[in-house]
Amino acid sequence: MDTRLVPSIETAASTDGGAVVSHKYVYGVVEASDDVEFETDAVGDADRVYTVSHRRYAAVVSDIDTTEPEETDEDAQRHDDVLREIMEHDGGQTIVPMRFGMAFEGDRELKNVLRNAQPAFRRALRDIDGKIELGLKLVEEEDAEVDREAIEEDVADVLEPIADQSVPNDLFSDRLVFNRSYLVDEDDREAFDDAVADLEDRYEDRLMVRYTGPFAPYSFVDVKIGAQ
Amino acid sequence: MASQRRPDASSLAEVLDRVLDKGVVIDVWARVSVVGIELLTIEARVVVASVDTFLHYAEEISKIEQATAEGDLEELEELEIEERPESSPQSAE
Repeated sequence: MDTRLVPSIETAASTDGGAVVSHKYVYGVVEASDDVEFETDAVGDADRVYTVSHRRYAAVVSDIDTTEPEETDEDAQRHDDVLREIMEHDGGQTIVPMRFGMAFEGDRELKNVLRNAQPAFRRALRDIDGKIELGLKLVEEEDAEVDREAIEEDVADVLEPIADQSVPNDLFSDRLVFNRSYLVDEDDREAFDDAVADLEDRYEDRLMVRYTGPFAPYSFVDVKIGAQ
Repeated sequence: MASQRRPDASSLAEVLDRVLDKGVVIDVWARVSVVGIELLTIEARVVVASVDTFLHYAEEISKIEQATAEGDLEELEELEIEERPESSPQSAE
């Protein structure tokens, strides 16, 4: 962020007449008509998740005492757990997931973002409405000889017709021959599960299958909001 | 026919891959200040969408830009609310 002064982000909870003024940790954005409020183990030891809304969109938040939360394994897991709870909430709710660490000074700042980024949230919500993210990694068995290109084509032939979209992920190891995230409609979830099982059977002796999720569609909401 | 395969939800590494690296990002300035800032929204889609989808986006974006320029964004939004199908995601569970 070049040479500009960074606003004081370590002020934590200031006090106002004895009452603690808390900051807001944001998990994601939902339609304001979706009422989300429940008790859970939230980021930063908070125990309640609720919404702050501005017109059509609402941020799902919990109270936090800092605007720069530490990236601990526990809190990263909680961030994801809360998103999963929301996705399963009330028969299934669509939420545009935030990256870990999106804590706001207060309601005014949060509403300002909800207001100014309305078109981005609208498009993101439309893209992922009723959909989940699933991950597939294929790892070469020791001493197995595999034709990566053929596998890639085969997997694409089987999974792409069922998925809505997909994005490649890094092949961070020599034995990792395939790594992709899929956006799948909840209605197509069983068909996708079956197709993965078929692939697993087909490559049983050559590949290990790591099939993960369902996640909030993190990989399919590439939205960045900056200040000018 | 193969037996059904359920995805595994328990891997911390998989969660960290996503939570720390993907999802909507909001600049710290936009999170701690309201005064004197303007928000920029950049949507760089990494997804190779179909041409149809791309054209649809381009059309929607130009509609919004046009509406913003003409100052009737609210009207456009009201219109879209009515066109929008009920958003009630189905759970396969």
